[in-house]
Amino acid sequence: MIKKILLVDDSPISRRIMKSCLPKDRDYEIFEAGDGLAGLEAYKQHAPDVTFMDLTMPVMDGTQATEEIVKYDKDAIVIVCTADIQIKSLTNVLGVGAFMIVKKPPSKETVEDALAKAEAQIG
Amino acid sequence: MDNDYNGISEEEKEILQEIMNIAFGKAAADLAEVINIYVVLSVPHIEMLRAQELPEYLKRQINNYDRISIVEQNFWGDFKGSAFLVFQASAGRELIAIFGDETGPFGSESADALEKETLMEVGNILIGACVGKLAELLKDSVTYSPPRVVTENTPNDAIPASLFDPSASAIVLKTVFSFEERNVNGFLFLVTSHDSIIWLKKSLVTFMEQYE
Repeated sequence: MIKKILLVDDSPISRRIMKSCLPKDRDYEIFEAGDGLAGLEAYKQHAPDVTFMDLTMPVMDGTQATEEIVKYDKDAIVIVCTADIQIKSLTNVLGVGAFMIVKKPPSKETVEDALAKAEAQIG
Repeated sequence: MDNDYNGISEEEKEILQEIMNIAFGKAAADLAEVINIYVVLSVPHIEMLRAQELPEYLKRQINNYDRISIVEQNFWGDFKGSAFLVFQASAGRELIAIFGDETGPFGSESADALEKETLMEVGNILIGACVGKLAELLKDSVTYSPPRVVTENTPNDAIPASLFDPSASAIVLKTVFSFEERNVNGFLFLVTSHDSIIWLKKSLVTFMEQYE
């Protein structure tokens, strides 16, 4: 069961949009980070059940952060939420272990669908 | 909200930045579908300026290019303004090679004409997809002028000051990009007029309301 969610995005607006798309009837504990490196550190500190990860970010991009998180925890569920919808970008990040992709802007439907798939994976 | 002299708050700038991010991501994906290219994206930058500062601002941004080509396209809707896609002048030749046809996509023509038309085609895709997505997210629809290519020896000559009403304010949305494994990089600037700002502020509120 998903209890802790980490949102990694350099845009505070984007994180606000993502929070608004999370189901309101579940009592998630939400953590936030503003770049890939901060996201990696937050992952190690909080061990979230699901991480939503942007790709285009300063300091460390989302593909590298995803790779580092999956190296650290092979069972990590990293859902990439990105505006960079080029096939190569998506193939790259899925190749380093991302669980799935949600295109920006997210909606309640796409986020709930992603969380349902993550729940099924966690079992 | 903290307003600057143009009446756009920091929060509104952040919303615009995210919308521009989504819009240019769509443009890059559209271009990658047409030609075999991967566009390396960066975080967009939003700047508020008085219109009279615009030519100087744009010159500063492109100052490290010794010779430049600009694809310019105007757009009209509630959201209206001008788009400038700025490349180093050598980009035209590189882009012809990416199209993978020695005669380019437009048949047999002189090298200069081919470069110009290739830039125009790439510009048309990037500007059209980016402005179109931006307008769609803000519930607007826009029409476009045909793209125009200007190649200049110095950046100082590239941006005609007469384009901008000196008494107006303007929003500059700037995205830096490069094409992976190709010696092509550039900027996309969207410059919107003062008239668009009031509409834009309302549209940004409406955009965020769906996420409350």
